[in-house]
Amino acid sequence: MALPTRRASGAPTKRLAEDGGASPLSRNLHNLSLQPSNATARPPPQTDTSSDICPVCKSSRYLNPNMKFLVNPECYHKMCESCVDRIFSHGPAPCPIAGCKRTLRKARFRKQTFEDLKVEREVDIRKRVAKAMNKCESDFETLKDYNDYLETVESLTWNLILKVDVDDTERRLRLWEDAQKAELHPNATIRRNLDPDPSLPSDTAHVVLKKGATQRKLPINTTTSNNGPNPPAADDKAPDAGFSFAGLKKRIAPEPEKPFDPYGGWSFDPQFYVLQEDYNTPWLAPYKDNPDYLAGGYDITDFYDRALGDAFSGFGVFIEEEVKARKGSAKAKKGTAKAVKAAASNGAVKDVDMDDVF
Amino acid sequence: MKLTEDDSYRTSTQYKHWSFTPAQLASQRRKTNARASARVRANVARQRAERAQLPDNANANASASETDRTGSGVDTGANTPVSADHEVDCLTQDEEMRLVDTFCERALELGKFCKFPTEVTATGIQFLRRFYLFNSPMTYEGQNISRTAMFIANKTEGNHTSVETYAARFPKVTAEQVLAPEYLLVQALRFNFEIRHPFRGLKGGHMELLEMARGHFAPLPADERTSAGVQREMQHLPLKPGGPPTQLAVPALEKRVADAYAFASNVLKTAALLTDAYFLYTPPQIWLSAHLLADEPLTLFYLSAKLPPTHPAHAKTVTTLAACAALLAAHRSFTSDTTSADAKAARNKADAALIKKLRSCRDPDKLDLVKLNQAQKRDAVEGSGALEGGKAKRRKIQREAYEKEADEFWGPELAKNGGRPV
Repeated sequence: MALPTRRASGAPTKRLAEDGGASPLSRNLHNLSLQPSNATARPPPQTDTSSDICPVCKSSRYLNPNMKFLVNPECYHKMCESCVDRIFSHGPAPCPIAGCKRTLRKARFRKQTFEDLKVEREVDIRKRVAKAMNKCESDFETLKDYNDYLETVESLTWNLILKVDVDDTERRLRLWEDAQKAELHPNATIRRNLDPDPSLPSDTAHVVLKKGATQRKLPINTTTSNNGPNPPAADDKAPDAGFSFAGLKKRIAPEPEKPFDPYGGWSFDPQFYVLQEDYNTPWLAPYKDNPDYLAGGYDITDFYDRALGDAFSGFGVFIEEEVKARKGSAKAKKGTAKAVKAAASNGAVKDVDMDDVF
Repeated sequence: MKLTEDDSYRTSTQYKHWSFTPAQLASQRRKTNARASARVRANVARQRAERAQLPDNANANASASETDRTGSGVDTGANTPVSADHEVDCLTQDEEMRLVDTFCERALELGKFCKFPTEVTATGIQFLRRFYLFNSPMTYEGQNISRTAMFIANKTEGNHTSVETYAARFPKVTAEQVLAPEYLLVQALRFNFEIRHPFRGLKGGHMELLEMARGHFAPLPADERTSAGVQREMQHLPLKPGGPPTQLAVPALEKRVADAYAFASNVLKTAALLTDAYFLYTPPQIWLSAHLLADEPLTLFYLSAKLPPTHPAHAKTVTTLAACAALLAAHRSFTSDTTSADAKAARNKADAALIKKLRSCRDPDKLDLVKLNQAQKRDAVEGSGALEGGKAKRRKIQREAYEKEADEFWGPELAKNGGRPV
């Protein structure tokens, strides 16, 4: 029987590790883990027999070498795969470990990564906190602000790990997550606020539902917390973001991407003609509504534009002046002249053009 | 960032590489002529020296090249019995220009004969003119080049015909002969295939003039006149410059516009192609000058609708158009109605004499373009005259080395007959 009760100090640590996540135990477990003298005094035995026995069905690895143990991050109670299949196949069910009433779902069971379940749990918590509190140094005005932020994050993490003030911390973390999400996807929140569907449970109700039974009993308006930076007063203007950090720069949303312009900002601006809707010219009449041309997507206005563009492209170009004014060509001419001279000095007079392809 | 029509023209190769001042044109032609004459003299002298060294083979050689020559259809200067000390009488720059003009006229007839679209003929003629700006008729013979130029123009303008079909239009011309100078020509064109013609521009102007005549014209933003006002002004235009104002009804005005278009279009298809207009002026200037020749008051009126007379560029534009119009009007296709039959006959005689003179001063190295072309390819004919012996040999050795290398790696080539014993 693996009862999640407090054991005598002489109880083997492995048993404690097994029940690591159970909430009534966490403080004691932490106390134990913080006692290095204890750990060094009683090293765990080399042959760990109890960890090979499923606490639910009592089957042992000795009989079934393929047995796998799974844990659920809800309470971190270990049980074998066949127990998980048996108990949770038909939907969520309470944890079969005595004293643990948490509702578990099969989908969330997984193999444990660390042998020590405390470590496993801490890693999970840190992962979650790091996902929500993802500011970096460049987001803050000064290094001190950033360090204050890091300190807040760390105390928040330890609150969760050590189960100190869990409800309030959880609430604030959730508020922070929502605020971050709203900042990143402003359209999603606008849409949600615009048409709240009365048939569906509201967002906050959903959040409450997700919370555990113990949390549900507690009132949610606990804004008085001593640790961490002072939470902002519930204002009408600024919604409670859970945390407020001094010196946190406001996030600047990136510019919305402009539509692609194949001409790179250039546009054709005719100065010598104004394109009309239609031109009535006898020789154009047969093409205007001939299905032979229209079927292929031919548009007569393209011809108008092109004809008028041709009519005036170069209208204001005076070759005599511009050719004389060309600077680059003078250099080029010099270059070719030199080349010709070189070719001529080579012996026989050569042709101007590059006759030999090789 | 805004681009105007002029900016778009300045991006064209026609503006960048094929626009010249008259002085540049003349100096380039002088240079080309001098270089070609020197080449012809040097090559003829070399050939004579070779022939003098081999007196026994001279006759055999002569007869051999006689048979070769029938392919190109041109008599060579090298085989005419001239004494060694006689200097070759090369064409002068003016004669060269006249010859090129003759080639261009023939190309125009060729286009008509083959019923090519106007753009194809026009492009072909401009290719010819561009080619002969940097090459001399003494070096490359006009008939071959104009055939190929027209073939390339067909491809450029999207009027595709296979080379066999194209060659079949000419008597005694093979596809090889059409293709032989192709690369040479394209190289001389600096791979600039686009020719900006004034034809479509003329159509655009005609469209606008018709709208003006009907009173539907949309004036430029700077122009304060209404479309009806433009129409009224247009109806009062004099028929001749400086003539009395008229009062034309709309149909009559439309006819006037249509007549001017027909005349200008004809000028663009002949005189504009056969002169240096494309080198010296831009397409809008060319079509406006042609229109100016057709109906001066109308054109100037149209010009004032585009460029008010108070505009600083107006006077310069009018001067340019007048100069271009003078160039077009000076061409003989424009004046052919007024020239007498005697003058025409004299001109034809002069042309014939010129072609005869050309035959006596052709570059002997460039006579057989087909052979030259083959020599440059991988299947070079052994001992072809064009390629120096050393070069051909070196290339052959190189090729054999590559082949050997490839055979070592990939194995030798498979037998053509599928391995069956022959």
